[in-house]
Amino acid sequence: MNKTKKMFFLSLLVGMAVVIHIIEGQIPVLFPGVKLGLANIISLFALLVLGWKEALVIVVLRTIISSIYGGGFSVFLFSIVGGLLSNIVMIILYKFFKDGISISSISVCGAIFHNIGQLFVAAVYIQDFKIYIYLPVLLISGVITGFFVGVSVKFLCYHFKDMFAKERRRDDL
Amino acid sequence: MKKGDKIVLMTVLALLVVSFLSVIIYRISYKGKALNAKIIQNQKVLVEVDLEKIDEPKEWMVKGEEGHYNIIRVEKGRIRFIEANCPDLVCVHTGWLSQPGDIAVCMPHNVLVKIEGEKEELDEISY
Repeated sequence: MNKTKKMFFLSLLVGMAVVIHIIEGQIPVLFPGVKLGLANIISLFALLVLGWKEALVIVVLRTIISSIYGGGFSVFLFSIVGGLLSNIVMIILYKFFKDGISISSISVCGAIFHNIGQLFVAAVYIQDFKIYIYLPVLLISGVITGFFVGVSVKFLCYHFKDMFAKERRRDDL
Repeated sequence: MKKGDKIVLMTVLALLVVSFLSVIIYRISYKGKALNAKIIQNQKVLVEVDLEKIDEPKEWMVKGEEGHYNIIRVEKGRIRFIEANCPDLVCVHTGWLSQPGDIAVCMPHNVLVKIEGEKEELDEISY
């Protein structure tokens, strides 16, 4: 993929991530603070097909843009720490243990670390670590949503495989 | 299932068990203590009430900067956020707090409500 195409693709992904992030904020959930983490589909997909730098770019841009639309500085701080932590964990897992681990497990780890990071920011912000009583609920939700995200990414990669194969052939010519 | 998946599964299960156990221990350590609720804004205690001594339902409006507000309602033995103008409304969705150790937080406005055991001076020392 050449530079312009890559940039175009990257901005499309950022746009999709922002839209997903905003829409999923409107979906009611069972417990307070639990999120579906659907925007993680885009981050993980970018990590798999584009690379780790692009995944980080997407998560940072997504957080900045969606906190401009809704929320303020505290919300931004809250989601950027969670997002970065979860992405770094996923990048490490994917880069070093790619052969021994499935995509769903990577995304489950990402979801769990997202929640741990968010709780950490909340605990520091309100200066009360008792907020960690929410951890069990968030862990369970992280496992479920993370697994779902992993399955979605697997489907997405499967359907995009042809596109990237064609792209590579064109580059070779 | 690959080898890495098993490791992830075991770690997650261990984490779950540990976190559940610590929450249970935390609940037990608070059991039987008085229901002393605190409303805290920007790390400062605004209101402190004993929930068992409340007969008439009462409401407080906690005002913040830029028109931010949270309305907190107290009834006998329980307390909750009933209204707020924060973007995520996590505080309102948390619902009633009635057990010692319960906590509800409004992150965007930095307001939290928690129920503690007895009135203790320990807090200032431990944090």
